[in-house]
Amino acid sequence: MLGLAARSVRQRPGRFLATLLSAFLGAAIIMTFNSMYDTAGASGVDKVSSDTLTTAASVVGGYGTLLVFFAVASTLTVNVRQRTEEIDLLRSTGATPAQIKRMVVGEAVVVALVGALLAIGPAMLGGRVLLDVFKDSGQVADSVDPSFGPIALMSGIDVTVLAAAGAAFLAVRRATRAAAGGRRKPGRARTVASWAALAVGALAVCSTFAMKATDAALMAAPAYGAILLSVGFALVSTRLLRTVLGRVEPLVTALTGASGYLTVRNMRQRAAELSGVLMPLILFTGMATATLYMQAVENDAIKASGLTRSIEDKNLETLNFTVVGIIVVFACIMLINSLYAATSYRVREFGQQRLAGATPAQVLGTVAVEGVVLTVTGVFFGTLAALAGILPFTAVRTDGLLPGQGLGIWITVVAVATAATLVTSLATARRGVRVPAVEAVALAA
Amino acid sequence: MRRHQHRTTHDTGRAEALRLVKVTKTYGAGDAEGATVRALDDITLSLPTGTFTAVMGPSGSGKSTLLHCAAGLDRPDSGLVVVDGEEMTGGTGPVRSEAQLTKFRRTRVGFVFQQYNLLPTLTVAQNTVLPLKLAGRRVDRGRVERILGSVGLGDRLGHRPDQLSGGQRQRVAIARALVTEPSVVFADEPTGALDTRSARDVLSLLREAVRVHGRTVVMVTHDPVAASYADAVQFLADGRLAGRLTAPTADAVAERLAHLGDDVTAGV
Repeated sequence: MLGLAARSVRQRPGRFLATLLSAFLGAAIIMTFNSMYDTAGASGVDKVSSDTLTTAASVVGGYGTLLVFFAVASTLTVNVRQRTEEIDLLRSTGATPAQIKRMVVGEAVVVALVGALLAIGPAMLGGRVLLDVFKDSGQVADSVDPSFGPIALMSGIDVTVLAAAGAAFLAVRRATRAAAGGRRKPGRARTVASWAALAVGALAVCSTFAMKATDAALMAAPAYGAILLSVGFALVSTRLLRTVLGRVEPLVTALTGASGYLTVRNMRQRAAELSGVLMPLILFTGMATATLYMQAVENDAIKASGLTRSIEDKNLETLNFTVVGIIVVFACIMLINSLYAATSYRVREFGQQRLAGATPAQVLGTVAVEGVVLTVTGVFFGTLAALAGILPFTAVRTDGLLPGQGLGIWITVVAVATAATLVTSLATARRGVRVPAVEAVALAA
Repeated sequence: MRRHQHRTTHDTGRAEALRLVKVTKTYGAGDAEGATVRALDDITLSLPTGTFTAVMGPSGSGKSTLLHCAAGLDRPDSGLVVVDGEEMTGGTGPVRSEAQLTKFRRTRVGFVFQQYNLLPTLTVAQNTVLPLKLAGRRVDRGRVERILGSVGLGDRLGHRPDQLSGGQRQRVAIARALVTEPSVVFADEPTGALDTRSARDVLSLLREAVRVHGRTVVMVTHDPVAASYADAVQFLADGRLAGRLTAPTADAVAERLAHLGDDVTAGV
């Protein structure tokens, strides 16, 4: 029995762990930043310290929270989509759609809650470390005591659970409707949501121009905008991808043979499902590029204004990059997490391809071509979203339009995105291909 | 190519499509004494080209293992599997890698499964030609239409598997199995998920592949009616061959199956 249990966990490790991990990390990030509100609100905190902490919580904590929301939601979507077979089985054993929804959403809430509760300890620790960094940079008085209170706790739990429950509900609703034989319509809600995200994102970006160059929260508007644009692009891009793939198919198949042929068919058919993987990819590229460039521009502007002495300057730079870095690393982990979950589920599909005569190398080739197409799409739209945030920010903060930092940061971000996508999907697929083909197709049945 | 060097010397001519020599397969952990299950015990079997054989036996008799080993989807612990005069697994030659085995199977072996195993993202026509595409062979549109026409799906080329009934899906799977003109077609409970009418169509198609096109079909089934479509039934019990019935009728097969357990119990 132990062997059976171990094998089942090994076959589908992505399912439970991926959800838990994303809820845990998401809640930890939100709680860490929002505990700055609690710390600032404590009695006996001087005005300067309080302002610094509140700004950090509202700017980075604010867009960080938005990012966490979408990241947790996209991982959940990937995970619930994988359970179509199970949902079918439940349906055939007599479960009503409402019962199935309650079960899947309830499970998501429980997992998210567990993740958020587990995150309390690390977040308290993270809050302390963050406060120490603020103190080291001289932004906050040494006398300020760390505090972890209701704002951190409630925001962390609320956002994580809300994102998990919402995503699970939408995904399971789609699954139960498909199981009931309803024809999948193009998805009117989806179209509305994607255009709404793009419109609000564009508004947020434009609102940057209404702010003063020295506003502490200047970075917030373009960052919010970049996130919303990333989400909007992720929803719209899959449809675009379908069309583009149709056009470039001869080229892809000429370059990569049968693997490319399968990739194109797969991606065109599963375009809607791909947005689950594309969203974290676009979010990572967009967020990392936007925030790192904006921070670099901000740091240079502070330096140029001569407001701080050189040692403080250095400290401030470190602080800012630390804060932004946490968000960027989180986005990268979520990307790896979603890709792993999405690929580990495909063992059955890989088995079917192999039974039809595909060698393991051809299966991996299909995954690799898919990874390349995903990366190109993700990097393209991520860069677009990032530019939409960077350009207004730079224009308001400095005299120029383009940041003077060069392409270095962007190239690094793209390299990380490419490596994360290809290494994760290929390594996961490689493990999937090791399962004998006959066993692989029997797994989900 | 190395693999041409270990063509078997005891070649009995074109007449033999599949041969198993002393094939043994054991499941279970090697270190746990008594926990192992001998799924196949010293099976030796020869099937001539152009025959339709059903393999029957109670649950756990080793039917599926036999099929998987014979089809090169699983490797026997010992013994030899020869397809179309060439060693597939076992034997003296170097052990084939998964990729080499796949390439070997592509041209010589076709599969039909109970769960169809069609790729949901491909159309009927694309599913059918997939083995050719994967082998890098040119696909002749006329041939695809002809082969799908012969299984009665000439008007469904652009449909996807989820738009077809179970019987239609299985007919696509048969078309896909036949498209490479393999030496042996292996069918694992091909009618297990079908209604009687669809099952009859599928079995007739398999029989037609043998009678008209000279293919060799090996079918695992637990249904005496399905087995009656074959030229011969090979019985299996506890991993050993347990008799053979030629020109079977459903009643004769059912009768034999019912007493298969008796023989085994008596033999212990």
